Formats: sequence, structure tokens, C-alpha cells
Amino acid sequence: MKISSKKLGDYTILSLSGILNASSAPQLKSYLEETDFSGSLIIDLELVDFLDSSGLGILVGIARRKKAANEILKLANLNDRVKKVFEITQAYTLFDIYDEVNAAAE
Amino acid sequence: MKHAISVTLNADIVYTRIASQVAGAAAEVYANEVGITGNIAEFCHAFELSVSESFTNSVRHANHQADGDVTINFFTDANGLTAVVSDTNPEFNPVTPPPDVTLYPEGGYGLFIIHKLMDSISYSRKKDRNILTMTKSAHPPAI
Repeated sequence: MKISSKKLGDYTILSLSGILNASSAPQLKSYLEETDFSGSLIIDLELVDFLDSSGLGILVGIARRKKAANEILKLANLNDRVKKVFEITQAYTLFDIYDEVNAAAE
Repeated sequence: MKHAISVTLNADIVYTRIASQVAGAAAEVYANEVGITGNIAEFCHAFELSVSESFTNSVRHANHQADGDVTINFFTDANGLTAVVSDTNPEFNPVTPPPDVTLYPEGGYGLFIIHKLMDSISYSRKKDRNILTMTKSAHPPAI
């Protein structure tokens, strides 16, 4: 999977693309450990083709840490396949979810 | 027409995508050939994701067996499209409570997802192998 980040106003935008599954999840975990994501964060999932429970677990872990730090976390651009995973696990209740990055950053 | 496909992979997490892509392709062929009730993309995604979760569980519980393998058999019959995932791991309980998301769990979703997406699931233990059988119906009964 590909991972990149940039600044947009007060937010850091973390963009993910490709497959986020048990095989690629460690790559994302390492990236998160090596990079400073303190402050307000938007995760852009537009280019994530496939998400499984391992990928979801990483995102839930980010949500837990952001909540503990009293920091903002938003998700943007969930396609139907990604949205389905959030719906059936009820994990959508843990996140602020937006259709677009710009809407999340307003 | 009946079809059968068998795939055996090393119990290594790097093969997760192969397992799920074979499942997705089998589901796509099945859905288009047989015709299903509902959305084909959703059917294929549900099958692909369920097999991905099952394969991942097999690898995660492989106890680092260097020669461990996971075999996935796909077949079709009147009940629908079935994946049978078998491994050499210790016996496990396929019934797990739903994860309590209010506790922000980072794991424990896999079997729950399979139960939510597939129409029937059964577990058995034969010849020192775990056998998880899961079927996605072409025409599930209306709820």
C-alpha cells in the first residue's frame, strides 16, 4: 500500500491507497510509529481498494489514541467496500466520517 | 453446473491477498454465471472479505509452524458458493461474541465479520485439521 501525508490548514492529511489488510497493516503501523501525527488528523481513504479487520484494527487504534489525547480525528472518502466494514462492525460509531477531505477540514 | 477450485498456500501473511483475490474472482464468475439476488459487487466483496478474514485467522494461529499450510476449496451447489478453509492449527471455537467497539478493540473482528457476511458457517475438526465451511447463498431468503 502507499502512504503519504501533507498539511491542510490546521490538519494533517494522511492519505492511504491500495490494500489495507493483514499483510500491509504492519507497514502502516510502522509509518504511524515513525511519524509525528499529533494534532488534528484527517485520514483520506479514497484510494483504499480493500480493507479487512486488520486494517480496521489499526484505524481503531488511531481513534483510541486520538481520543485519549483529546485530539481531532476524521475519516474521509470511504468507498462502499470500506464503508461496509465500518457498518457491520459498528466501528463507524468511533469516527467522524466525511464524504470529502475538504468538508472534513472545514 | 458444478465447479471446484482448490488453492493451497503457505501459512504466511504475505499470501493473504492471493487468498482473497481468488475468492473474489470465484465469486464474480459464480455471480455472473448463476445469477444472484442482489448486488453482484456486494456479493463478491462479502465473499472476498470473508475468505480474507478466515485465511488471516489461519495464519495468525499457525504457531509459527514453518511447514504450515492453509488450503481453500471452493465449490458451488444448490446452496450457493462455498469456501472451505482448512489448516493444521490447534482446535478453536468458531463462535465469538461481537466485539464491543466502545472499548476501541484493535482485534477480534474477523470471525464476527464472517458471521455477518456469510449465509451459513460450520466448523469441524478432521484429521488434525480445522475446517471452516462458509457459504454465500445466491438467493438468500428475504428477511
